[in-house]
Amino acid sequence: MLTAVLAIFVLAALAPTVHRMTPSFSHWLLALVPAAITVWFATFLGPVGAGEVVTQSIPWIPTLGVELAFRLDGLSLLFALLITGIGTFIVIYSGGYLHGHEHQGRFYLFIIAFMGAMLGLVLADDIITLFVFWELTSITSFLLIGFNHEDASSRRSAVQALLVTAFGGLALLAGLVLLGIAAGSFTLSGIEASGIDIRAHALYLPILVLILLGAFTKSAQVPFHFWLPNAMDAPTPVSAYLHSATMVKAGVYLLARMNPTLGATEVWTITLAAFGTVTALWGGLMALRSTDLKKVLAYTTLMALGTLVMLVGLGTEYAMKAYAVFLLAHSLYKGALFMGAGSVDHGTGTRDVRELSGLWQKMKITGVFIALAALSMAGLPPFFGFIGKEFMYEGMLQAGTLGLLVVAGMVIANATMLGAAGLVFWKPFTGQPSEAAEHAHEGGPSLWLGPAVLASLGLALGLGAIPHEGLGEGLLGAVATSLKGEAAKVDLYLWHGLTPALGISVVTIALGLGMFLGLGGVKRGLDGLARASRVNVDAAWDHVLAGLNAVAVAVTRATQTGKLRDYMVWTFTGITLMLGGTLLLRDGILLPREMPETSYLGIFMAALMVVGTIGTILAFSRLAAIVSLSVVGLSIAMFFLVYGAPDVGITQLMVETLTVIIIVLVLAKLPAFRKGEDGTGGERARNGAIAVAMGAVTTAILLAVIAVPYELDLTRYFAEQSYVGGYGRNVVNVILVDFRAFDTLGEVTVVAVAGLGVLALLKARMGRTRTGSQAGGDQP
Amino acid sequence: MVAMPDLLPALPELFLACAGMLLLMIGVFRGEGSLRLVSWLAVGALLVTGVLLVLGPTERTVTFSGLFVSDSFAVFAKLLVLTATALTIILSQRYLETEQLARFEYPVLLVFATLGMMGMISANDLIALYVGLELQSLSLYVIAAFKRDFAKSSEAGLKYFVLGALSSGMLLYGASLVYGFAGTTNFDALAALFAAGETPAVGVIVGMVFVAAGLAFKISAVPFHMWTPDVYEGAPTSVTAFFAVAPKIAAITLFIRVLVDPFGDLLAQWQQVIWFCAVASMILGSLAAIQQSNIKRLMAYSSIGHIGYALVGLAAGTEAGVRGVLIYMAIYLAMNVGTFAIILSMRVQGRMVEEIRDLSGLSKSHPMMALAMAIFMWSMAGVPPAAGFFGKFYVFMAAVDAGLIVLAVIGVITSVVSCYYYLRIIKVMYFDDLTEPLERPSRAASLVIAGTALFTFPVFFIFSNAILTGAATAAASLFQ
Repeated sequence: MLTAVLAIFVLAALAPTVHRMTPSFSHWLLALVPAAITVWFATFLGPVGAGEVVTQSIPWIPTLGVELAFRLDGLSLLFALLITGIGTFIVIYSGGYLHGHEHQGRFYLFIIAFMGAMLGLVLADDIITLFVFWELTSITSFLLIGFNHEDASSRRSAVQALLVTAFGGLALLAGLVLLGIAAGSFTLSGIEASGIDIRAHALYLPILVLILLGAFTKSAQVPFHFWLPNAMDAPTPVSAYLHSATMVKAGVYLLARMNPTLGATEVWTITLAAFGTVTALWGGLMALRSTDLKKVLAYTTLMALGTLVMLVGLGTEYAMKAYAVFLLAHSLYKGALFMGAGSVDHGTGTRDVRELSGLWQKMKITGVFIALAALSMAGLPPFFGFIGKEFMYEGMLQAGTLGLLVVAGMVIANATMLGAAGLVFWKPFTGQPSEAAEHAHEGGPSLWLGPAVLASLGLALGLGAIPHEGLGEGLLGAVATSLKGEAAKVDLYLWHGLTPALGISVVTIALGLGMFLGLGGVKRGLDGLARASRVNVDAAWDHVLAGLNAVAVAVTRATQTGKLRDYMVWTFTGITLMLGGTLLLRDGILLPREMPETSYLGIFMAALMVVGTIGTILAFSRLAAIVSLSVVGLSIAMFFLVYGAPDVGITQLMVETLTVIIIVLVLAKLPAFRKGEDGTGGERARNGAIAVAMGAVTTAILLAVIAVPYELDLTRYFAEQSYVGGYGRNVVNVILVDFRAFDTLGEVTVVAVAGLGVLALLKARMGRTRTGSQAGGDQP
Repeated sequence: MVAMPDLLPALPELFLACAGMLLLMIGVFRGEGSLRLVSWLAVGALLVTGVLLVLGPTERTVTFSGLFVSDSFAVFAKLLVLTATALTIILSQRYLETEQLARFEYPVLLVFATLGMMGMISANDLIALYVGLELQSLSLYVIAAFKRDFAKSSEAGLKYFVLGALSSGMLLYGASLVYGFAGTTNFDALAALFAAGETPAVGVIVGMVFVAAGLAFKISAVPFHMWTPDVYEGAPTSVTAFFAVAPKIAAITLFIRVLVDPFGDLLAQWQQVIWFCAVASMILGSLAAIQQSNIKRLMAYSSIGHIGYALVGLAAGTEAGVRGVLIYMAIYLAMNVGTFAIILSMRVQGRMVEEIRDLSGLSKSHPMMALAMAIFMWSMAGVPPAAGFFGKFYVFMAAVDAGLIVLAVIGVITSVVSCYYYLRIIKVMYFDDLTEPLERPSRAASLVIAGTALFTFPVFFIFSNAILTGAATAAASLFQ
């Protein structure tokens, strides 16, 4: 299986070269590989149909227990066959459709890479592997939707589709990781086999919500549905492949995959049934009011996706079977219809149903296959779509009260399919030839081969021309088995007898005919509905992006002013919050039990520091500020002197003096204070508040520090060791010249270097004054 | 008499120190025009240092009276730093020559900064930490203002210096508090003290927060990030390329060592601080970048965001978390060096350009360069299968394992937001019309771009085993 996935990626890499060498028939060549892989997968029909599960595992990062694990069961096999099979026809089709396009080679690269990603996604057993491929489909689809990048709406749609699915993808990742942690295994088979009931796990709800977010965004369920119709800006082969047969089904695939693990709870059933039905109903109704052929098909795809989600949610045995049958039926007719619509576009230059009629004369081949596919979509016997619909109703009827509610919605939704089928076949092909139809022409075999095969398959399956033993009971049964987690069998028959489902079908068909005939009235009714919602979700999207931009501007403007002072404000605010927060959270606010004794000298010096600080703040020139500040520094030095640390005091004195000299020298070069330079009154108040807060926090720290008994280890150590180790009774002296001799040397050096710095500055200053006229003079 | 310390574990550092001084002498005596020679010699010296590192002892060895430690964690981080510096020196040459900045001090300063970083990574004592940090910082202050006739560059250097000095001050204050209350600055002794299970004094905790704040400045985590965009934009581009990678790796490894080694048993005390920094960095990094039109500023915010993600792994405080951070930084190195190699190649008709719109239509004029840039952007956004995804994956995983689910969720949301601006670059390159084509990149730049892009995807994807195993061993050595 890894070989199959890799083969497709290699093909993608080679595609542009192949196309350059053989531009006229490269699509036939390129289609050979997916065709061969389809055949290869088809050989698994027998064993997988008999209930076998093929697995393959390659160690990838053995130290971390990560492996590339693949699994082929009924569900995977059906998807794999659809992906490679329809993919084959899509590659052929795009050769005809994009004939002569300057970036055709690049197109093959993207679409074949997408095929590989999709195949990897449905085969993956390891959930991280699954996620990697999941995101890869998002990326390739982004490139494909934006393929016509000269078009602004194409670009918008591409970005929109990507951001919506990327958001869902990350939610999915979070969900999968939680699932992996809850189950203790990172492979799907391992999770199923673990025997841990995830449904009863504390993390069940978060897992469920996150995975549903991923699946719903990918499969365009309401309210994330808006990107799919917009994505129709993509070239038709892309719409046919990604937005009907494969990518949007990834979400549906995932839900089916998760059904044995997460399904069959009340929240699962109701959520999926509700979202699915609303999406189906919405898609069906919107399809009727669209005039663009591709938009019509996009909305019917929404309907189909909603139906599939609903079926997974219901979870009855027939619903599972219906899922399998309807999935296959939909992929066949929708692929054919999209390609057919593309051929109409190609032949006439328009996709607007209002401008199309009477095409039958000019495009007979396309017409036949569109008709076949449309009938299948309409759910009329003897087409495969009819069987799908029968199963669907049967499944809903089994589901009790909830099922009846769903039936009401689905009858309308299915009826709209009939109307939509009329829109895509009856309107364009019958009646008097319109202007656009006058010069219509049929495309070559590459354009009709795909629709032909897919539409005929829909009819053949319905008629039972293909033996049902292999497909029905085999493959589709295996799909239902994968979904259910236990064995299930699918019997495909057109005639099930006079069942309630048949009755509902008759109602559906009648309603559908009525809708198509009274299309004008229906449309007017729908227009109102549409104005109320879809447009809004799409517009809300723009609002979200605009809002994001506005927040970004606000954040940047507030924090990044480019002024050092504002940066200091943020830094001090941050440190105040961090320290204050730590103190508060850790109950660190303590008051010393007794105040330490103070001498008058100490109080005097403290007062001096206060005066110095106030002076610094109030100073109206830089020089005055520096001098006031140095009062603070010198007072600290005095403290050291008084409280028995003369060496530190001396050092502090020297450093303080030198600093003042250096700063004065530098500041003298600056222009004088300008009015308003220190900000508005509000800013000053804010800065003051931050300064006070910082001071308060520091004070609190100091008080807390004094409050706890001081560790005297160090003091004791030096007191004991000063005579033994340094042969001196004066502890301070011994520390300075023995224990910390190098420190003292270092301090001396620092002071000396600082002195040299002052000298250099002074010399530079004198030199400048002397040569001032040459250097252009000082600024006044 | 004090016994001679065991020099062997510090052999790479000693070699690099001697080499740096020698290079300085060569530069001084050769004078102008020796940039090329000194640069290549510096690259050679870094290479030899790397070889010495790999050949050196792998088990944990402590020397210089407990000041210096060498273990696999240090070796892993030092190799990353050496790679980053060597690649930056190679990339810088052409830029410096065309910008009339060809002075030999540049590679010498980078070598000394790297030496400082290696000292930081191997620090086993608060004092050793500070010495390494300052050697690094002082070199960085100077090269930030390397284009000294250019006001923006001088401004960048000054801002960096003032704020940097402030943070160093906080760090020292914190260290002195720790020393005062714990009675030692040695990491092993501190760890033994806290492992005993005593409730640490308030002074120790406050000191630790101060140290953390000082280090947060060095990795430009919010709220100590303000210097980053201005310095990134103002400094010469080759300097920005250096700033974005090597110092970040060194500082975050130092951060890990400080918090995990001596203060590991105080996890509950520092977790909230790191949690807060991680969240704030991720949010600011993703939001503020949206509006940037200058690609250097954009990269500044992007790096703030990335540091936030790395901190997520640190906040977990577990071996898996540290492993995640190391993997993250290895990938970060490749993505950033590659991106900056492209930014350094953004030259139109002989002048440097640095606006995002200057990249428009790059896919038409330089398809391979555009592809590489696209890979880097995907990777930074954390979209699989590019390497960046795995970086994020492992840190988030560690956070979830450690019960920090909210943190992981915020990380995921900000990742989505950041997708938006990384995508914008891809959109500009692929969808916008070409205005003025860029000049051909130099051969060295092309090689670096190709190499890092291939590493980001698909080499990492396929051969990740070696790096992940290395990171796992390194993380394990810290938790012995």
